[in-house]
Amino acid sequence: MPTILLGLAATGLAAGQAWCIATVLAHALLPGTGAAADLSAIAAFAVLALLRALLLAVGDGRAAAGSGASRRRLRGEALSAILAQGPPLLRRQSTGVLGALVVDRIEALDGFFGRWIPAASLALASPALILAVALAVQPRAALVLLACGLAVPVSQAAFGIGAAVAARRQFVAMGRLQARFLDRVRGIATIVLAGRAEDEARRLGSAADELRRLTMRVLRVAFLSSAALDCAFAVALVLVALLDGHVLLHRGPGSPGDAALLRRSLFALLLVPEFFQPLRAFALAYQDRMQAAGAADAFHTLSHGVAPVTPAASAGGPVLVRTVAAHGVSVAFERVSFAWDPSRGPALDDVSFRIPARETVVLVGPSGSGKSTIVEMLLGFVTPDGGRITLNGADLASIVPDALAQMTAWVGQRPLLFAGSIRENVLFARPGASEAELGQALRAAAIDGFAAGLPDGIDTRIGEGGYGLSGGQAQRVAIARAYLRDAPLLLLDEPTAHLDPGTEREILDSLRRLAVGRTVLLASHSSAAHAFSGRRIDLSHGRVVQLQGVASA
Amino acid sequence: MSGPLPGPAGAQPAMPAMPLLQILSLWRRRGPGLAAGLAASLLAFLAGIALLGVAGLRLASAGAGVLLVSALLLRLLGVGRVVLRYGERLATHDAMFRALADLRVWFFRRVARSAAGGLGHRRSGDLLSRLVGDVEALDGLYLRIAVPLAGAAVALPLLVMLALRHGAWLALSVGSAFACAAFLLPLLAAVLVRGDAGALSGRNAGLRVAVLDLVGGLREIRAFNAEGRMLAGVQAKEASLLSLQLRLARRTAIAGALSFLCQQAAVLAVLAAAAGLAFGRLGAIDAAVLLFVLIAAFELAGGLTRAGALAGAITHAAARVVEAGAAASPAPAAGHAVPQGSALRFRDVGYRWQPDRPPVFEHLTLEIPQGSRVAVLGPSGAGKSTLAALLLRVVAPQGGTITLGGVELAELDEAVLRRHFTWLSQSTHLFEDTIRGNLLLGRPDATDDQLWQALDQAAIGDVVRALPERLESWLGEGGAGLSGGQARRVALARALLSPAPILILDEPGAGLDAATEQALLSTLNQVAAGRTVILIAHRLTGVERLDRIWRLAGGHATAAAA
Repeated sequence: MPTILLGLAATGLAAGQAWCIATVLAHALLPGTGAAADLSAIAAFAVLALLRALLLAVGDGRAAAGSGASRRRLRGEALSAILAQGPPLLRRQSTGVLGALVVDRIEALDGFFGRWIPAASLALASPALILAVALAVQPRAALVLLACGLAVPVSQAAFGIGAAVAARRQFVAMGRLQARFLDRVRGIATIVLAGRAEDEARRLGSAADELRRLTMRVLRVAFLSSAALDCAFAVALVLVALLDGHVLLHRGPGSPGDAALLRRSLFALLLVPEFFQPLRAFALAYQDRMQAAGAADAFHTLSHGVAPVTPAASAGGPVLVRTVAAHGVSVAFERVSFAWDPSRGPALDDVSFRIPARETVVLVGPSGSGKSTIVEMLLGFVTPDGGRITLNGADLASIVPDALAQMTAWVGQRPLLFAGSIRENVLFARPGASEAELGQALRAAAIDGFAAGLPDGIDTRIGEGGYGLSGGQAQRVAIARAYLRDAPLLLLDEPTAHLDPGTEREILDSLRRLAVGRTVLLASHSSAAHAFSGRRIDLSHGRVVQLQGVASA
Repeated sequence: MSGPLPGPAGAQPAMPAMPLLQILSLWRRRGPGLAAGLAASLLAFLAGIALLGVAGLRLASAGAGVLLVSALLLRLLGVGRVVLRYGERLATHDAMFRALADLRVWFFRRVARSAAGGLGHRRSGDLLSRLVGDVEALDGLYLRIAVPLAGAAVALPLLVMLALRHGAWLALSVGSAFACAAFLLPLLAAVLVRGDAGALSGRNAGLRVAVLDLVGGLREIRAFNAEGRMLAGVQAKEASLLSLQLRLARRTAIAGALSFLCQQAAVLAVLAAAAGLAFGRLGAIDAAVLLFVLIAAFELAGGLTRAGALAGAITHAAARVVEAGAAASPAPAAGHAVPQGSALRFRDVGYRWQPDRPPVFEHLTLEIPQGSRVAVLGPSGAGKSTLAALLLRVVAPQGGTITLGGVELAELDEAVLRRHFTWLSQSTHLFEDTIRGNLLLGRPDATDDQLWQALDQAAIGDVVRALPERLESWLGEGGAGLSGGQARRVALARALLSPAPILILDEPGAGLDAATEQALLSTLNQVAAGRTVILIAHRLTGVERLDRIWRLAGGHATAAAA
């Protein structure tokens, strides 16, 4: 709202300045009429100019601040949607695409929030104000402005609907071609090493030319609408100049009231650019709006799809958390089934088993047999389509996510290390941990050994712009996180899949120590499984094919 | 840890002194089109000035009781302005897009040339995508800076000449006000923003890293219920970026307001002259014309201040594009020798990435006979990927020789070299294209039968047959969502389709789960018969069938029995 008020105030000041100019010019054209008023008109002009400059700076500043606030809000919503959908989202979207959406696409909306929204809110109000002023002073000119002003939306509609649809289709094609260029540049090594660089360069050249032709096709229409605006402006200007000039001329010089009439005519002429200025800003900002429409589609697909996780917080959850520390956690799957994508068949089909508290069970089976799905269900990443999972007899669906996270620790195939130091990465598991607890976790995971060789020990920055850790070292960070978490249920998902045999042995040793006194579910290929003797579940194509030392619930 | 192939370090040249000039020189070929667009835009601009000036003249002269302008001229100018403006926009944009298309292809060719020199590997996809954005940002150089600046350069003498008819002082004040708005303030805005350009891109990168951490770490975040903490972390980075952006926007806004005041000062000077308060009395009709011309000319100057603030970003973009394109190719000029067969031999090869780093290889000697199946093993850092880079002539050895069929790699023509090798690693790219399009990269003239045969050999044929659009299924975003293992098999099918006699597999199983990796490797045992297979890995899974194993350690290779 204040944006409109600021804009309207600026328009009012501009009208005032036009009046000052008209006054001085009219007096100069008809010598001997009211020259005394000139000085005050010029002084008023200067004061209004200063005020207008101030409004301009404040308005631009406010628009920038408003754009920043809007982008912050939008980014907050996008991040919340991503966090609410959680890990399953990564099955549908790559991190690169999501990152670009949250960073680049939202930054690209600066024009939409900073230019389009202010321009759109003033596109009607400012010309209306000018029209009202013109009507009071020079009704004939006001009618010209009104007619030309009305022609603008009419002409936009005439070029309009069909052209806009075509334009939208072109924008889609343009987006595809841009994506193609990006994709080819990303995969350039593959192209070069296949000896196809020159071929691709030629194809890219014709694709780029195609992009130009498509873009020009859109612009020819888009520019037509701004040409219509120019046309309306020129017609208004010429009509005002001709009509008023005609009247002035035929009254003959020196007739009474001449100075006033001339002043009003000049004033009306000076109002013409002010009348069209907001409309032109509106047309200029239109491309910002088109860009925003594309982004809106992308956000729609983000928030669309999987419903956000809404845990039914029952009374059972909190009670459970208090009791598990003393007694441990037992896990039971009761006829659980699940499909990632119904057309590709179930990932889990009627799976039942029971793991008593503080026991270790190994899940064995080939890739795609459902091991990871079981682990991800226990982590709360996905919920069963049928059947139920219980922890200490309480339905998993009734446990709030935070309480579930408190009960579980997890070491996956490749832990994600965040940008930051090793210390920060381990403390991620429990930010409030004391220095002594941290030291214990570091020793237990044998991080102290390799950290001593780094320039700043455990405060060495890793990841982007820092030191890279090897696969085994990264896995030790994950183990230290699990130690620090000190949760009764430990979930291990192929923790040594990417390690060489020597490192694998060391990591398995650490994991065995971590497993003591906890309920453990280890998903693994068979060689690692031998390290954890005893109970095991064999899976194949989402079904349990064999249970050894495990009850079938 | 097998990533993309490492590229040569030290290939990064100093930033070119005048990146903008270099971009402009690249556009030489489009010079006539760009110049025509510029001329059209000047004409349109002049028509706009003339229209306002003549409208003022007509009204003022009528007020004074004379008719100096015919209605026809006024109408002609009105029509001329509209038509010229439309034509000018089309001409400038078309010329610009042609130049940008050229730049894209130039950029692709240069990056491709140095991709063999490592750039394509060294740069992350993210950085490359920003470079692609940089190419697009360069349209501002012509449309938003060059064209309006040319208009301003024409408008300044015009204004001065009109004002000179009345006197030097008026001309001086109007001219300096315009020069200030059109040239000085945009320059000031550019300098002001440029000082913070480094900080701005740093904070942008900070936000990007934080967001990618959050998105990539969704599993960890849920498992450790860290949603609130991570969100707060991202928002702190965002706040620091937004506050800097706001500071820069405020400075630009002040520069814009100052530019507006320049216009007002010029109008004030003309008014004062018209009222006879200063500069001697200016004729009323002249005053009216001058005033309306001022309004039209300053409309252009107002946009230049914002363009000035953009100049920093555009210069930055130009510098990055030029720098990426200028990366030197280390591969020596190729000869025309023809290799006899495809036996590979490393003799006394020495290589180090940088002069101050320890050598990766010293006196590396190994042989890979034609048609043999060889594994090259070693722990991380032993130089496995360097070996692949040397073979693919991504880098050149500093000592010793590498020969293919008796001819030194350095002597081979690029096309001949590429025909001999097929490379598959976890960074092998699958393009956003149909499965057919992806496969044809390996052999453009392959028949459908050959495509299906390769897919079957890679044990992915049945999966593709089950897809509704089979070979025409789209890979990538919004396409057939293949799992990581399935995608790797499509890449394998592409490698198998290629007629190249030497197949280099750089950790083909990395990123796959153990069972899928084993299945992939046992597939390879059956299908690559007759070709040389070089398997690079940190360990064997036990299913590989090999003729020889080389172990890399301490810069040497030692043969072990298979």
